[in-house]
Order: sequence, then structure tokens, then C-alpha cells
Amino acid sequence: MFWFWIKTWILVLAVSSVSYAEDLLPDERRAKKQDALYGQALFSLHSGEYDKALSLNSAIRKRGNRGYGKVLDIQAATAQLGLGMSRSATKQFQSLISDKRISFLPAKARAQAWFYLAKHFYTKGMWVTALKGIRKVDAVSLNPDLKDEYHFLAATLELFKGNSKNADTHIVSINKDSKWAAYAFLNLAVNYTEKDIHISKVEAVFNQALLLSKNTKTPEALADKIHLMAGQFFFATGRGRSAISHLKSVGLDSAYTPKALLTYGWALTEQWQYHDALQPWYMLKTAHSQLNQDVQETLIAIPHLLEKLNAKVMALGAFDYATEQYDEVYEKLGQSAARLNTGKFIEPLLSQQIPDKWGAFTPIDLSLPDHPDKVYLKDVMSRGQFQGELKSLRDLHVMRYKLNEAINHLDAFKLTAETRKKEYQDVKRERLVITHSQHLAKLKKRYKALNARIKKAFKNPAGHGLASDTEKDQMALFVDVTKSIKSLSASRNIKSEHYEKRLRRVGGVLKWNLSERYSDRKKQVSKSLALLQREIKRTTDQLDAAKFAYQVAPKTYKGFDKRIAKLKTKYQKELKKLELVYHKQRERVGGIVKADIKTRQERVMDYQLQARLAAARLFDETSNKVRSVATGEVRQ
Amino acid sequence: MKAIYSFASLLLLSFTTLMSSSLYAANQAGLDAEIEELKSEVVELNRELFDLEEKLLYPATTSFAVFVSMDEVEDFIVRSVKLNLDQQDVTSHLYSKEQVDALRRGGIQKIFSSNLKPGVHKLTAEILGVDRDGRAMKRVVVADFGKARSSKYLEVKIRNNPNQSKPDFAIVEWK
Repeated sequence: MFWFWIKTWILVLAVSSVSYAEDLLPDERRAKKQDALYGQALFSLHSGEYDKALSLNSAIRKRGNRGYGKVLDIQAATAQLGLGMSRSATKQFQSLISDKRISFLPAKARAQAWFYLAKHFYTKGMWVTALKGIRKVDAVSLNPDLKDEYHFLAATLELFKGNSKNADTHIVSINKDSKWAAYAFLNLAVNYTEKDIHISKVEAVFNQALLLSKNTKTPEALADKIHLMAGQFFFATGRGRSAISHLKSVGLDSAYTPKALLTYGWALTEQWQYHDALQPWYMLKTAHSQLNQDVQETLIAIPHLLEKLNAKVMALGAFDYATEQYDEVYEKLGQSAARLNTGKFIEPLLSQQIPDKWGAFTPIDLSLPDHPDKVYLKDVMSRGQFQGELKSLRDLHVMRYKLNEAINHLDAFKLTAETRKKEYQDVKRERLVITHSQHLAKLKKRYKALNARIKKAFKNPAGHGLASDTEKDQMALFVDVTKSIKSLSASRNIKSEHYEKRLRRVGGVLKWNLSERYSDRKKQVSKSLALLQREIKRTTDQLDAAKFAYQVAPKTYKGFDKRIAKLKTKYQKELKKLELVYHKQRERVGGIVKADIKTRQERVMDYQLQARLAAARLFDETSNKVRSVATGEVRQ
Repeated sequence: MKAIYSFASLLLLSFTTLMSSSLYAANQAGLDAEIEELKSEVVELNRELFDLEEKLLYPATTSFAVFVSMDEVEDFIVRSVKLNLDQQDVTSHLYSKEQVDALRRGGIQKIFSSNLKPGVHKLTAEILGVDRDGRAMKRVVVADFGKARSSKYLEVKIRNNPNQSKPDFAIVEWK
């Protein structure tokens, strides 16, 4: 029986390393086109936002597939797997790969679909179905990044089925630098432990797994795990020394330390090294919580060992101590059960989860600072079934948050639509567009008039149009004087050369001044005119934009009221439905925890009974000894 | 007679046990199916909300969005992108490892969406990251663009440059 549990535990350890794959989907199709929806869906999918990816996927389908073919189906199935919707995902995958037409699904996509389906069944523990799936994977068409993982999965499943030769072929195909090689050798070692294979071969495979563990993400943790598994195997098969050497190598601050210390103590006990065995057990007892089941076993193992060492009084004390401890543990477990009923156990854990993170691949945050159930929780969480159920509950909790958030968004949308409507009506009431149009028309009129005047001013390139009043008087005077001189010289026959020369000089100065100013002013006027034109154009554009906005504004709020209200009703209905399911799932999780607490309490009671009986027996033995010594003295 | 009664009661007991265990299993499966159905419905509702949000908050005439995309660039890991629109910081985003991977695998991130009036605008994108040797890199790309009475989409692109060991950064307008 003990060996059965050891094997089961080893199997659980071996499987758990691959239960949470980070990557689900290969590069099937990049978003090369400028397609915002598809690009975003791909981004969400690869970054682990599966709910968003699924929503976008659905939006793409609604809009029209646009030639994405079956890629969208694969992506949807992958996102469903990520969200823990295994039924829909399985259905989707199966419908994808059941059609054998190449044109329907390219070989690469088909291989990947089979691979992920097999992986899905594997992580769900449906290994026979997984094996069927993995055998259908065409390794040649598979993405090179997935090949090592494929061979690992295939080897594990073949080993499970007992096909060692097929398994060996897959194990040999795994690249030795890949992390999957370490896991494959570990699984092979586990498989060897179940068969009648020579111990040296088993040890060699464990050592190979240890050697390859450096290629994994957490080499120390995997090495500790391998050492513990090997140690437990050798201990169970009566090879104490080999067990001791492996168990000694497990780190003192790892997740496997308590189990390793406990088994190390038992292995030393089997080697009659009672003194040495006390050390790991004391370490275990002092460094870990009494709620740890290994510690609980140690509590009763220590006094038995002391008894073996003939330290009977100390053993008696240790039995008493163990009894007290078991009382405390029993009480604490009872308190945990009470907290479970009053919503002080699971609920605080759920409330600290990240609201956006959910789905099958998002681990639960187990840190419960200063909470009395944190040790128990970590212990119970190591069990796969509980993890799965708690994850479902967490998903429901996150969904509740999301639904409430969406309802808040809808309220905000309603407010936006109402504000837009109000703004539009204000604009309509104040006739702002009309006022602005009139103002702009006036501006344009003024511009036109100004332009006409300017044209007139610059008509004569000599610059006469730009003359000041004095200059105009001077020019008029100049014309008069010229006329007078001409008439005088004609009527009286006077030589006017001197006057004409002077007049030309004056005329030259005047023209020069005007022509100089003409070019300067023309430059200035053109600049100002251009500015004015730009200003008018900008104002015209603004007015046009305002007119356009005025025309389209009703479209930005009209019809949304009904849609928002309809969607809100749907959300509220969904929330009600969710509450019902949430309570059912909460009951289920609670039921599992309660049953677990009960089992633990029974175990503790059993230990306590054993400790009490042993203490009574020991007390009896020690007092009989005293009595017989006393009787002997009397006889003498 | 007594033997018949005891046999019958034993039969009834085993039948009841069998029935209750199968009923329990059916209940469990039913709950799982309910949870899955609920997830599916929530996803569908979210799609409707997304659609409504796009149409209501960002009407086609004023809608403006900026996307970020990245080729399979080997020698650059984007750490953050900061956007400045018309001299105002509008958004910034810090990338997780998964998001960088998602960009590399062809995903496009909608980093900013808003409403923008017609006219000439200026977008500045400040991209921070590290090169192959782990050295910090900062690039600023600027784009002047005109917005008419239709939606405008811009894309901050990080592309491979075959002639250099450093990638190219650009802002591209979507047609």
C-alpha cells in the first residue's frame, strides 16, 4: 500500500511539471495586413489575454472572415483552452482535424491541432485519448519549436501504455539541450521503478535526468525533485544507503524539504542509525508548521525513536508533547473549517486575485499574509483536483468582477450619449453654426472689398496709387506747374529749359520715392494678404468641420440608448446566472476542503490515539520497572 | 422469506448507492458545463460591449488610433513606448515578456485610441528597449499627419534592417 502511494505521488510530481504550459499556439499567421482586429486578436492570444482574444475572434467572424480560413478556428480553440473551456475547445479541435482534406486544413496546422489536442487531454489526465491524438501528429509538419515537447509527450504516453520501444524512439529524438529531455528521463526513471528493472539501470536514468535538469528553467527545484523521487524509490525498495545519498542532496529551503527530511529520517532508522535519524526529524519539526503532515508524522516518530534509544523518560515526554500538538492541530483544522463556513477562508484568497487574470493557465496567487490558513492552503493546493476546482471558482469570481465593470461602463456610455445629446441641443438652440457662418460671410465680404482696394492701389506700377495726401497735392501741383510753364513758354516765347530741368528733377524725386515705396508696400501687403487668406481658410475649414460635426452629431448618440439598455439587461441577467453558478461551485470547493479537513483530522486523531496508547504503555513499562526494582529490594 | 427481504433490501441499497453516485457525477459534470457556458456567454457579451464601445466612443468620423507592431527582430527587445500627440503626453505602455513575444509573433497592439479633430497633427513616439548585448536603447520617431473627416490609424513599426544590426523605427499611416 505504501509503495502504491509512493508511486502515485511520484507520478503526480512527474506530471505536474508540464501541467502549465506557457505557450499554446504556434506562429500560424502573422498580422501582416493592416487589419486592426486580427492583429489585436493575435496580440491578446499570445500575451495570454484569452477572453479578449476570443471576443476579438468573434468580432472578426462577425465582420467577415476576410480569407483567414481555419486559422481563426484554431485560434478560437486555443483561446478556449486557455480560458479553461475544454469542452468547446475539444469540440472545435475535433471538428478541425476530422476533415482529412489538405485544402481544408494545411498539414502544419493539422499537426499542431493534433498536438494541442493531445496535450490538452494529457493535462486533463485522459492519457489513453491523448495517446491516440499524439499518434496522429505528423512530426515532419510540426513547428520545430514544438518537436521536443511533442517527443516528450509521446514518450510519456507510450510509457504509460507500456510501449517501451516506441517511448525509447521518442526519448532518443529529443534534443539533449532541451528541458523536455530532463522531464522525459525523469518519466522513464519513474516507469523503470514500476517494472522489474535492475537497480543500477534505474539509478543511471535518474542520474541522467539530474544531469539534464540544468537545461530547465528551475534546475535546482527539478534536481531536488529528482533526488527526492530517487530517494523515496530506493527507500521503498530497501536500498537505504542509495536513498540516503539522494535525500541528503535535497536543498534545505526547497518545496520538497519536509518530505525529504522525513524520508531521510526513516532511511537512517532502517539503517539502525537512530541518533542520526533524530537530527532531520528535529529539523523538520522546528522549521515547519505543525499543520504540515510530514511534521505530524515526525511528532510520533521521534518518541518511538527515543524509545528505541532506550531514552524512555524522554520518549514519554515526547509522546505527551505530540499529544498536545495533535490537540492543537485538530483544533486549528476545526477553526479552518469554521472559517470556511463563515467566508473567512476562501473569500479573502479570492479577493486578492488579479481581476484581469483568469483561465486555465493563470495560477492562483496563494499568498495569504498573516492568515491562519496559509500553511494549510499551500498544502491542500498541491492536490490537482482542488487546484482545478479553485481555479474555476476564481474564474467565476473574476467574471463577476468583469460583469460588474461592464455594467459600470454601460452606465458611463449612457452618460456619454446623454451629454452628446445635450451638447447638440445647446448648439442647435444657440444657432452657433449660423452665427459663425454669418460672421465668416462678413469677413469674406470685407476681404473682398479690401482686395479690390488693394488692387486699385497697386494698379499703377509707378506707385501713384500709394501716394500720401501731401504727395498727391505735390503731384497735382507738379502737373499744374508743368502746364503753366508750357503755356507760358508757348504764349510769351520764353525759354523754359532751366525750369523744365528743375521740374524733371522734382518729378524724378517724386517718382523715385513712390516706386521705392511701391515694392516695399507690395511685399508687406502680399504678406498680410496671405496671412489673412490663411486665416479665412482656417476659419472656413473650422466652420465646415463644425457644420459637419453638427450634421453627424445626432449619429453619435441616436439609437445608442436602446442598445445600451438592452446590453445592460443582458449583463444583469448574466450576473444573476453567475451568482447561482458561483454558489454551487463555492459549495463544491467548500465540500472538497471540508472532506480534506475531516481526513486530516481523522489522521491526527489516529496519531493521537497511537501516541496516547504508546505513552500509556511506556508509562506502564517504566512504572513496572520501578515496581519490580522495589519488590526486589523488599525480597532482599 | 427473511432471506428474500434481506436480499431485496441489499439490492435496493446497492441500487440507491449506484444511483446517488452517478447522480453526483452527473451534477459535477453539469456544473462544469454550466461554468463553461457562462464563460462563453461572457465572452460573447464582451464582444458586444467592445463593438458598442468602438461605435459610441470613437465614431468613424473622429476616430484616431495608434498601433504598435514589431517584426521578428532578434536584436531588440522593446521595454516601453510613450506617445506624445500635439505636444501632450497621451499614453505610455510597459511591455511584459509575453507581450514582447506576442508582438514578435505578429500581434498588433492598440496602444492608444481617441477622437481627433480634422487638421494637421504631430505624433511623437519614444521607444525604449535593450539591444542584443543588453544595452539600453532609446529612439524617438516623429510623424506630422493630416486628419480629415474619416478615421485615422497610425502604426509605430519596429522593423528589421538587413543592412544594420539595429532595427528601424517608423510611424506608418494606414490607408
